[in-house]
Amino acid sequence: MAISFKQIEEKLKAESKRLLETGQVSVVLAYQNGYDEKHPMPYAAKCVSDVENIIFNEYCNFNMARYLVRYSRGTKIAIAVKAADSRAVIQLLHEEKVCREDVVVMGIPVYGMKNSETGQEIDGQTTCGLYNPILYDILLGEEIHGKPVVSPFEVLTPYEAMDREDRFVFWKKEFDRCIRCYACRKACPMCYCDPCFIDQQKPRWGEKSPQSSGNFMYHLTRFHHLAGRCVDCGECSRACPVNIPLYLFHKKMAKECKEMFGQGAGMSLKDKPVLINFRVDDSDKILE
Amino acid sequence: MLKKTAIDKISELASRMMEQGTLIAPVKEDGYFHFREIADVQAVDLNYHNTVTSPKSVFFPPVEDFIHYETGKSILDAVAVELNVKPTFLFGVRPCDVRSFQIMDIHFSGTGSVDPYWQKRREATVIFGYAFYLDEPAQAEEFYSTLGIGAADPEGSDIFMIRKENDLLLKSMTSKGEKILDRLSVHDAATPEDEKYFEEYIHRGRQTRTRFTCIEKSNIAKKMEDLFHNNDFWMKISSACLSCGVCTFLCPNCYCFDICDETLFGKGTRRRVWDACMFTDFTLEASGHNPRTQVYQRLRQKINHKYSYHVRKYDTISCVGCGRCTRHCPVNIDIFSIVEDAMKA
Repeated sequence: MAISFKQIEEKLKAESKRLLETGQVSVVLAYQNGYDEKHPMPYAAKCVSDVENIIFNEYCNFNMARYLVRYSRGTKIAIAVKAADSRAVIQLLHEEKVCREDVVVMGIPVYGMKNSETGQEIDGQTTCGLYNPILYDILLGEEIHGKPVVSPFEVLTPYEAMDREDRFVFWKKEFDRCIRCYACRKACPMCYCDPCFIDQQKPRWGEKSPQSSGNFMYHLTRFHHLAGRCVDCGECSRACPVNIPLYLFHKKMAKECKEMFGQGAGMSLKDKPVLINFRVDDSDKILE
Repeated sequence: MLKKTAIDKISELASRMMEQGTLIAPVKEDGYFHFREIADVQAVDLNYHNTVTSPKSVFFPPVEDFIHYETGKSILDAVAVELNVKPTFLFGVRPCDVRSFQIMDIHFSGTGSVDPYWQKRREATVIFGYAFYLDEPAQAEEFYSTLGIGAADPEGSDIFMIRKENDLLLKSMTSKGEKILDRLSVHDAATPEDEKYFEEYIHRGRQTRTRFTCIEKSNIAKKMEDLFHNNDFWMKISSACLSCGVCTFLCPNCYCFDICDETLFGKGTRRRVWDACMFTDFTLEASGHNPRTQVYQRLRQKINHKYSYHVRKYDTISCVGCGRCTRHCPVNIDIFSIVEDAMKA
């Protein structure tokens, strides 16, 4: 079954219209046209007449879950989510940043999304590589089955082949490029701390200047803050203007989490996130 | 005097520059171009449209150390960091970026108070401007024609370069450039035909259109002023904004900075680092009050600074239409569209 972006768009518009018309929600988080077709934008439709601006195409990469925490409790929100985005919604529900009764999840089963900068198809290399949303109230289309699944961890093979020193050299080279624009944390649906530790004045956790020590402090701390929480949507790496492959570290953490606890962030509404759940049979591998 | 060299002999030219000073030129790193100090002449690569990061960092580096000190010791023991500026060749700057240096000069040296760091670097640097390749269409994000900048404008460059098939034509535009061009001993003299090509190219560059909208600077400044309190307008255009620093850090015209004391194990440095009006803590006051807590307020500040306040104060729009902010915005916010919308509002 070939997937039609146009059909998804039509369904997205119809559902958004219905939800806004019936007053079930006051905001619909979806996508709109940008300065050209390859560059759409995130969109918050707030009334029925806004709905006509909603679009969906292969470049609508944004993880709209990023915007959920901007709305105050009690605001009824409908959100369009692709596979990884739905994982972010689940994780935010677990972390009680969002209430289940406040969100209507419109799931988009999709493959063939493209990076507007490179034109390359987005798959398990930079994201979690799933086709179907994990959580949805409304499914805009049919679940996709039978497509080969690209393992989200395959891309780690060369990274894992490096020894400790090589990895340090690798990250030093990457972080030395960092300009500290903080696009990674701002695009991340799970980075909602206010203030972020790196912006704190007292104590000052890391240097503000974009140099090795501060860059390491910022990125390594952020990596670890996202351990067991990163939903592998790839937004941090996509947002990075200097193309630091941040996803590698996140994927490595996710893989270890999966191996040790058999869980992935945002993969289930039932399972408590690993780092806030203590079980007697938890793996002790980390202590070995 | 017009000179000529083969494009594939760029590395020879580069090595002659490196004999005389520091060479900063476009380099391809993991598929993307940046201006970098050259260590290996083979790295110089002119097959680029424009760089990801702007060349402003040559004069206004992301980190500038001022003073080294030790905690617990007298202030008299603090040592000022000496600025050792070497003759520098900044090679291959696009006309819109060259224009940005002139706008930045206003802030760092043109208003009476002179920033010695900017000034000294600026004086020590020879700028090799490089025309956009006119046979290649302008990118969707660019709009330098809107701001009156041509694709091959030589103004502001010491030496201006144009590509003619497999040759690079170089012409000195200032006396500083002329001296350097002599010293670099580019041997091939250009033919009268090349001369004609060079002049026509500059002219053709002015006719090449990027995205264009008619904005007259006092008009747009007034329009922005009228729109200032129109919160609906600003909330609408900023609804997707993540409030990150990509646009300001890549912008060749953003110059905001922070001075911070960074201390580790008793040893400290007072340094200047880039800052951005898009950051929440940019306006955070010591009292805890923050006059710009909302994303729309911050984006409004950024746009107004460039298109309104800057026009009122210095009679120039502080934007050169290079398109970097739009090209690299994680959510594709387009400053040109905002300006267009403002004009229509």
